[in-house]
Amino acid sequence: MINRRHFLTTVAIGTASAAALSACGNGSSSSGQTGSAEKPVTINYTWWGNDDRAERTRKAIALFESKNPDIKVNGNFTDFAGYWQKRATEAAGGGLPDVMQWDLSYLRDYGQRNQLLDLGTVKINTDAFEKSLLPSGQIKGKTYGIPTSTNAFAVYYDPAKLAPLGIAEPDGSWSYKEFNDFLTQVGTKSNGALYGGTDYTGVWWMFNIWLRQNKIEAFTSDGKLGFSKDDLKKWWNLTGSLRGTNAIIPEDRVTQLAPKSPFGSNATATEVTWDNFMAGYLGDSGAKELKLVPVPSDDPDNLGLFLKPSMLMVASAKTKFKDAAARFIDFMVNDPEVGQIFKTSRGVPASKTQRDGTTFEGTDKLVVDYEKSIEKYLKDAPEPPIVGFGTLEASFKRIASDLNYGKLTVDGATDAWFKEAEDLIKQNS
Amino acid sequence: MTQSPTLSRRPASSGSPLPRKKRQRGTDARAGYTFLLPWLLGFIALTVGPMISSLYLSFTNYNLFEPPKWIGLDNYTTLFQDERFLQSVGVTVGYVVFGTPLKLAAALAVAMLLNSKRRGQGFYRSAFYAPSLIGASVSIAIVWKAMFGDSGPVDQGLSFFGINLGGWVGNPSMTMPMFILLTVWQFGAPMVIFLAGLKQIPGELYEAASMDGAGPVRKFFNITWPMLSPVIFFNLLMETIHAFQIFASAYIISNGEGGPAGSTLFYTLYLYLRGFSDFRMGYASAMAWLLVIVVGIITLIFFRTSKSWVHYSGDSK
Amino acid sequence: MTTTASPTHAPTDTAAPVYNPKSESVGVKRAKSAIFHAAALILTAIVLYPGLWMIASSFKPNSEIGGQNTSLWSNNFSFDNFVTAMDGIGGVSTLQFFTNSLILALGAVVGTILSASVSAYAFARINFPGRSLFFGMMIATLLLPFHVVIIPQYIIFQQLGLVDTYVPLLIGKFLAGDAFFVFLMVQFMRGLPAELDEAARIDGAGHARIFGSIMLPLMKPALISTSIFSFIWSWNDFLGPLLYLNTPEKYPLPLALRLFVDQTQSSDYGAMIAMSVLALLPVLIFFLIFQRYIVEGVSTQGLKG
Repeated sequence: MINRRHFLTTVAIGTASAAALSACGNGSSSSGQTGSAEKPVTINYTWWGNDDRAERTRKAIALFESKNPDIKVNGNFTDFAGYWQKRATEAAGGGLPDVMQWDLSYLRDYGQRNQLLDLGTVKINTDAFEKSLLPSGQIKGKTYGIPTSTNAFAVYYDPAKLAPLGIAEPDGSWSYKEFNDFLTQVGTKSNGALYGGTDYTGVWWMFNIWLRQNKIEAFTSDGKLGFSKDDLKKWWNLTGSLRGTNAIIPEDRVTQLAPKSPFGSNATATEVTWDNFMAGYLGDSGAKELKLVPVPSDDPDNLGLFLKPSMLMVASAKTKFKDAAARFIDFMVNDPEVGQIFKTSRGVPASKTQRDGTTFEGTDKLVVDYEKSIEKYLKDAPEPPIVGFGTLEASFKRIASDLNYGKLTVDGATDAWFKEAEDLIKQNS
Repeated sequence: MTQSPTLSRRPASSGSPLPRKKRQRGTDARAGYTFLLPWLLGFIALTVGPMISSLYLSFTNYNLFEPPKWIGLDNYTTLFQDERFLQSVGVTVGYVVFGTPLKLAAALAVAMLLNSKRRGQGFYRSAFYAPSLIGASVSIAIVWKAMFGDSGPVDQGLSFFGINLGGWVGNPSMTMPMFILLTVWQFGAPMVIFLAGLKQIPGELYEAASMDGAGPVRKFFNITWPMLSPVIFFNLLMETIHAFQIFASAYIISNGEGGPAGSTLFYTLYLYLRGFSDFRMGYASAMAWLLVIVVGIITLIFFRTSKSWVHYSGDSK
Repeated sequence: MTTTASPTHAPTDTAAPVYNPKSESVGVKRAKSAIFHAAALILTAIVLYPGLWMIASSFKPNSEIGGQNTSLWSNNFSFDNFVTAMDGIGGVSTLQFFTNSLILALGAVVGTILSASVSAYAFARINFPGRSLFFGMMIATLLLPFHVVIIPQYIIFQQLGLVDTYVPLLIGKFLAGDAFFVFLMVQFMRGLPAELDEAARIDGAGHARIFGSIMLPLMKPALISTSIFSFIWSWNDFLGPLLYLNTPEKYPLPLALRLFVDQTQSSDYGAMIAMSVLALLPVLIFFLIFQRYIVEGVSTQGLKG
């Protein structure tokens, strides 16, 4: 007799069964089907990005196909937000594309749930990678992602905005107090026409860096929080005296300027974020030149900085063409000519072979030089964040925004964030 | 007596599409199902399965990647302890309660303005419908933010009258009025339907009323309102259902975050975030079915109460 | 209700006076007309201003869009954004995106017209067991937020091997998937006098003939307004194409549009707005041509015996 629950499961048109299939789908460990020049295999590759990236990727694919006549690559692309909804739907249906561009935030969500291929089982050359970088693509000893490129945190500023205010350009060796003073100075001297910056305590990765400066890991190896409520309170209190002054752009202005950033809209003098946003900021603001300096730290020897994969290459656990997928990934991360095509538009190439084979000029050179200049401070990249990290990062930003709106106190914000984080960790454990 | 060709003569005064007077003797099952075949096929193949599936998932813990785990009513009970959920309910109810009547009132007012034999009707009709042509894209978000930003046209216009609110976009207590204006702005569809209804009211009725010395207000309440009530009912029902499900503009204007300070966290936006950002599809399904139940009850109430205020021309026989 | 509008008395499109012109003097009429046009023009200006602003922005350089500049005017007007927008994306020409959108929109129109009118005829004109039940179910499909059925539906099409084709995007239209249109047509048909088909029935006509030779011709205005609504909605649809299409050569405009803006890279808002403006043209033209039928479409003005 069929019981009711079984019936419902069946009627659920494969939602359940497809998910079950996808959980145990990667039985075969062979290299998958291979092609020949006469009968090439076709793999699907998908990425997010704008028309510029689409154009560059098209060139890279054409180059790969000319070098590998036995493989054809079908490229497809969407914008970032649509990208993740599409991947989630495909994963639920059990049909992810063979090779995908990936973001660190989602590596655990998909990797830990058996959606991604263990790239340790196929042939991809990682000799030219920094050994400190590779773990960020690994979970529990399995390699799910190979970084294409790296980015690092930095403070951006526009020299042309500081000069008329008579403010000296920063050199990047500053404590939090000095940084706060700098922001205040901009706000005061410009009389509010230009804000110092956005509230950097609302940025998760900056918090992560501050934790590392204080020798605290954000997450424990068993997927729990590695810091306490007091740490978070301390962090959010760092800019407590700046909120509501011209040092920090008010949150309602930030909302109004979105989707452009305050810095890209020329509303602030500085921005604390990833160094590979350079091209975007230049385009948005129309500024002639932007400069990068390291983030503040109260311990001048420990800046807490690290290189993060700005994006990774992953393969679907269920690809029928493991060998072809591996060769394509290897090509995309290692080939010097690919470096020439992308320059720093994906971030600074992670593989030394690719980096050395690429000539950097102008904006690209700024970013590469910045990453060179902080080399001595770099620590190991963090492991891929916990499952559900995307949600945590978003709620961090949201709650910090509520804090700036004055809807929450620091204590209330801390409690709110911890409640959400603990719920999420419990949910996913 | 002939039938009055009134739009939505009876959208279902008794909750069903059955006309009270049977048009044919007996039933005609074969013809009925033959004509209904396309809809039936689509319904069975594409709709019923997914609907039941989502109902089933609402009783499970389902993260999209692993098989769903049965957890009974947990999702439903957790909902009521979820502050963000309660916030989204508040936001949505506010939007439905204020936005829908305003939009309908605006649509009706403009339709009445256009319901006269004057030159340029086609132009005005097109102009007023134009905003409804624009899909929900990032362009709309940029345009709308410019309109309601600091020293944007709305801010300047209000300052002219001595009202200084500043930009609405970044002010959590002004984003709801902004959204309501956005929906009112796209009033094209109900306006067109009202206009069609108005055109069906025989001019003789107004002429007779004029001879009795009725003013515009009395004409409106004695003729326009009752004659138009089936159309008002249709629009009210459709717009209410749509308002409960507002998603695209909410997603685009707040960049999918429901900010500032949660003031635009609409129900379906939160549902979407739960399902596709947090990978909690079971929870999202529970939210969806709760909405079905609530809106279903409201729809039923609409149909029931419609008897007292909706007048169908054909009812008198 | 004693006052009825028999078909011969049915007010036509041009004869629905709210005011009785005969009872007013020429002067009063002129004044009223002036007030009407003044009010309508002011409203038009308010309603169209955001659209004008959007068009103006499509000529502005990227750095002047969004952010601080809220004025209509710019000193740097140029056609650069349109050049970029027409340039195509990733090797696919912009014309291709337009063509794809057009195929999808016209397919949606044809499918909706065929299936919704047939289904509506069953609901409105045929008495069969289970009619009320099915009608209620159809209304119920309007109530469920679509996000929770995305995945089960995707799985169906994936199992059938139909992903990356237009089938998933169009089949729903051919199977009367949008209850709104069926409901609209049901309402419309109920407004048509039952005497028409009763007379035909006495003459021995079956349902197929009544539907084909009596209902469809009378429904022409309703079919046109349905066409317009479904054209516009399909033209602007983003989610369906996002989920079901993989090959860029098959993308419609709304997908392409988004590729000018990327949160993780640089964004070209100017080109995106320019493309939005261009994308608006076909729907605008479609609407301008057919707009006068909309008003007739949902009413029974076309009924003249």
